[in-house]
Amino acid sequence: MSYLNNPAVVMDNGTGLTKLGFAGNDSPSWIFPTAIATSQGNSTASKKMTTNSTSGSNVTGSGNPYFGNSTSATSFNNLNSSMLLSNNLAGKRGTEDLDFYIGNEALIASQGPSYSLSYPIKHGQVENWDHMERFWENSIFKYLRTEPEDHFFLLTEPPLNPPENREQVAEIFFESFNCAGLYIAVQAVLALAASWTSSKVTDRSLTGTVIDSGDGVTHVIPVAEGFVIGSAIKNIPIAGRDITLFIQQLLRERGEADTSLRTAERIKQEYCYVCPDIVKEFNKFDKNPDKFAQFIVENQEKTQKKVVDVAYERFLAPEIFFNPEIASSDFLTPLPTIVDHTIQACPIDVRKALYNNIVLSGGSTMFKDFGRRLQRDLKGIVNNRIALSEQLSGTKSTGVDVSVISHRKQRNAVWFGGSLLAQTAEFKSYCHTKQDYDEYGPEIVRNFSLFNMV
Amino acid sequence: MLHLQSSNLLIQKTFTEALEANKSGEPLTFDRIISDFDYTNFHVSNDPENKTQLFLSVRTKAWNSILNCDSNGSQGVLSYLAAKYTKLAGITVAGGSESGFDYTLAIDLNQLTGETIVQLSLLKTNIMSYPFYLAFQEFATLSTQNPTTTTVTVGRFNEETGNVSSIDVSSTLYTIQYRDNENMFIKPSNDRITVIFETFFQDETDKVFGKVFLQEFVDARKRNRDIQSAPQVIFSTEPPLELQNHLPKNNEVNDEASKRFITFVLFPRHFANDELQFKTVSQLTLFRNYFHYHIKCSKAYMHSRMRYRVDTFVKVLNRAKIDEDDEENGNTETKRTITGRKMVY
Repeated sequence: MSYLNNPAVVMDNGTGLTKLGFAGNDSPSWIFPTAIATSQGNSTASKKMTTNSTSGSNVTGSGNPYFGNSTSATSFNNLNSSMLLSNNLAGKRGTEDLDFYIGNEALIASQGPSYSLSYPIKHGQVENWDHMERFWENSIFKYLRTEPEDHFFLLTEPPLNPPENREQVAEIFFESFNCAGLYIAVQAVLALAASWTSSKVTDRSLTGTVIDSGDGVTHVIPVAEGFVIGSAIKNIPIAGRDITLFIQQLLRERGEADTSLRTAERIKQEYCYVCPDIVKEFNKFDKNPDKFAQFIVENQEKTQKKVVDVAYERFLAPEIFFNPEIASSDFLTPLPTIVDHTIQACPIDVRKALYNNIVLSGGSTMFKDFGRRLQRDLKGIVNNRIALSEQLSGTKSTGVDVSVISHRKQRNAVWFGGSLLAQTAEFKSYCHTKQDYDEYGPEIVRNFSLFNMV
Repeated sequence: MLHLQSSNLLIQKTFTEALEANKSGEPLTFDRIISDFDYTNFHVSNDPENKTQLFLSVRTKAWNSILNCDSNGSQGVLSYLAAKYTKLAGITVAGGSESGFDYTLAIDLNQLTGETIVQLSLLKTNIMSYPFYLAFQEFATLSTQNPTTTTVTVGRFNEETGNVSSIDVSSTLYTIQYRDNENMFIKPSNDRITVIFETFFQDETDKVFGKVFLQEFVDARKRNRDIQSAPQVIFSTEPPLELQNHLPKNNEVNDEASKRFITFVLFPRHFANDELQFKTVSQLTLFRNYFHYHIKCSKAYMHSRMRYRVDTFVKVLNRAKIDEDDEENGNTETKRTITGRKMVY
């Protein structure tokens, strides 16, 4: 039973990015797009040989200087695949099912002629199980280099994932990979666990509101004692991509030298912050010109330089969370109001705790002072309501504490929470093992006991 | 991905990251676990005082048995690894290995190069290659010592008859205990080196797949003329004769019954020069992983076929469905909501 010493594998397969790593590490070992490039079947062997070599050179060209595709190509070493496969049936079929790339290599391979790119996860849920199974196969054996029989796995799922999907995951992990043990955790709960690293958090409870903002969509998820209150979850169609597009739009209106999406994204990541008051911030910029920044774009060969001015978008871009009307015309509710509505939709006995522990997660919550601004606005809303009810009822309220917690691990909070929980000694006792699965079947994964940590 | 690579991609990535961060003047702090097949774990960490000094520690299940391979004690493997690594720029062997780990290398980021990173990522293969290295050496001495022995009367025969002239031919057997239930055996003799793998399956399905695969290893060579230069492969359910005197007798019967043995016979042409040796060793040390990887891949492939089959059946079933609307229309008018949904009573 020496697998007990092996670190558990933590896999967070998101819609856009997959985070892979080992429990106990402070950051994921691999972060790459959840993309798979599969070969487009019935290509003859000779055609495959040529495409292999071209895509190979592509990858080496743009990839890392030290290890290109040579380490990974489905290389047949000059031996025609049909020559190696003597068996009749296998000779007919070939090894097309092994001819695929995942992650960044998939993006590069799909530029070639014989691979087609697909994203097996849509809206957080697995859509194409064939592709997902192969995606996992490659991430386990090639990127993590682990024998799944020797490791426990912690996987994540979005809130409101149907139990059938869980069963599918269990079937793949236990039957294809024979993994030693499996735990499937809800992303929001892991994000809560990740917030325990913050000094602000005193009690390690699994009650709180998670604001998870990635690239495509922002979720507000209330969690009470480790259980997601599904009926109260709210989505906001404003997330990272909208901010980038907004910056791009501002750059274009000003006629900057470079208005590509990449530039906009870099500006978002490096210069943007949240201000307490837009009008005051505009004045500050006008009085104090050194607030304006300049961003220098270099082309790939570093021969040309373009200078892009960075102006009001530094604080305007993240502002679309708080004043959506400046960027969109169809969604107009500010984030603090949504958070307030979410918590108000929850049972009354947990509301205080939910206000008290609002946890940020995901890349689009990384702006400086995002948490402070959210806390201030939300406090305003809550205090107004309390004042109103005190006035109407004539009694004195004990008050509601609003606190928004931001911490250093916010970007990969879900993965980090998973790593934190999976490195504990108790983790393996919460998992379902291969023996359990063989005994009870896939429906065993419908329930997982929660981490109840002190 | 048909083959597994012998280098560890994650070590490469980690050190490349470290190298680049160091070049840009902001060395990163490292405390990372990296894993490899067969209970092998790496740990990358910083020197607490000096961030440009990194440590790469390794712990592997096979370590103890590899130490035991050398009759001169543990110094052999240490000096073998030291010889491999200290000649590379920026690497020194750390004074003592990190606690909890078997072997530690110290890496100076200021001198690190791309080639060195590749070598670092091959650390596990290099450790595993030590018994092979011993076997190659022994083969070299045996083949010169005993040139008169004909190819027929090799190790196995001598062992049984206790032929005095060539006792050494058969007495050495390097055992690598690289997993709990599975061992790898390397047996040098004067004209060949025999590598035997024990295979053991926890899962019944795997056992069936495994048998087909192992049989295919044997048959592929027989059927195909183009790969005649590949090592000969023998598959057996009984322990091969080479092992019979070495296997512990107290194994449980149950355990023994589920074991299969696969033997690779390496001839001098497979390890004539260093390059060939490295290729042979790295492929053999990955054999079990390659084998299990493909069992898993074929299961995944079968799953995808099954899903496809179910989908087509469902399509056929759907075609056979009777349109309920027509029937209902005949009797009563169906009520619909404004959005077009049917009202159900």
